[in-house]
Amino acid sequence: MVIKVIAFGSIAEITGKDFSANASDLDTLKSNLIDQFPILAERKFAIAVNQKLVNENYIFTENDTVALMPPYSGG
Amino acid sequence: MKQYNPRYARHYSLKDFGMEGQQKLAQAKILVVGAGGLGCPVLQYLVASGIGQIGIVDDDIVSVSNLQRQVLYSTEDIGRDKVTVAKDKLHQLNPEIKINSFKVRIDTSNALVLFSDYDVIVDCTDNFASRYLINDACFLLKKPLIFGAIHQYEGQVAVFNVADANGNSTNYRNLFPIPPNPLEVSDCNEAGVLGVLPGIIGLFQATEVIKLLTGIGEVIVNKLMTFSILNYQSFIVEILINDSVTALIPKDEMSFQATDYHWFCGMGTYGIQEIDAAVFFEKIKIPNTAVIDVREVGELPKVDFETIQIPLSNFAENLPQIYSDTIILFCQSGKRSLKAAQILFEKWGHSKKISHLKSGIITLQEIKNE
Repeated sequence: MVIKVIAFGSIAEITGKDFSANASDLDTLKSNLIDQFPILAERKFAIAVNQKLVNENYIFTENDTVALMPPYSGG
Repeated sequence: MKQYNPRYARHYSLKDFGMEGQQKLAQAKILVVGAGGLGCPVLQYLVASGIGQIGIVDDDIVSVSNLQRQVLYSTEDIGRDKVTVAKDKLHQLNPEIKINSFKVRIDTSNALVLFSDYDVIVDCTDNFASRYLINDACFLLKKPLIFGAIHQYEGQVAVFNVADANGNSTNYRNLFPIPPNPLEVSDCNEAGVLGVLPGIIGLFQATEVIKLLTGIGEVIVNKLMTFSILNYQSFIVEILINDSVTALIPKDEMSFQATDYHWFCGMGTYGIQEIDAAVFFEKIKIPNTAVIDVREVGELPKVDFETIQIPLSNFAENLPQIYSDTIILFCQSGKRSLKAAQILFEKWGHSKKISHLKSGIITLQEIKNE
């Protein structure tokens, strides 16, 4: 399943801002990304699929958009 | 209905706002925590708009590197308390507003008391310990919280503890249940920030305050907006309620006051003294004090006092170089020196006095420039 990934803030500095990925579900996507960018395992970020926050695994359908959003602290 | 005030003429003539909207602003009490990059525009526009009462909380002084984005302050204000300068300037802007200033750092002993006097809290702070503390205090008090945060060229805005049409409300923990480790994030000092960014994000926060008070438009309840100033793209995601994270919030006033947010945010400073620039210059004069620069060899700026250089990258191997029982560590921004302090504390515990320069060598430069 080809999905679109958008990364923000410090996560984008690791993965790049937007890219396509191939994964059947969110857990697989996460573990693929961690294989590719091991430092991601230590980072905390929220994940949204199609602009809704998800807290559990999620089975993708074609063209889903996944957003990786780290917390910002600056003020 | 109050009498016509020409100051607000453009509000009165605004469709769906009018005298009635202005009256709602006049009756509101808003507390702005943090008078920095976000706080300055929030304060200026809320005071200009005619909010009845504004509280400002900040314990910092104006420094030269603030002036690039903290537009309430001028060059001549360097070294003065931010809350004092802010109150003066805001009073000149609109003397009809009651402004209360609190020169304190928000903590678990003062947050609940301060917040309970206000209708809406605006989070303009610059660190996770304060952000989680403010979130939890607002959750306990059921106070609307207008959240804003920035990173380099992007900002986040959200409104918490306000119910949507279904009666559901969310808070920061629904988004980020636990804080990141301090080593995985950078602040404005380190990562840099384009000066206009907090202006834009702060004005989104001020706009949400006004919308919430007057009922115009749609408040971004249960949503997080991320806005990029590089392409003006905004990305809005829906935040879902997750009861398991609500359980992470202290359940009452007592457990809130017993929570150590610095520790919780991984800034575990137990046993390690954090010192600021003024204290640093005093302490390094004390005989038999080891002042250790944990930056890598060749990092600038150089310092003009006596130091031992032990870079963090091979810190653990070089501990035998430290004989003194009083140790002061410093680095560029205070992160590496904290890490080094933690290494020392693990090895020596309370047998040596360990302190580190909290915001790094940058703050020393600022003191010297003042």
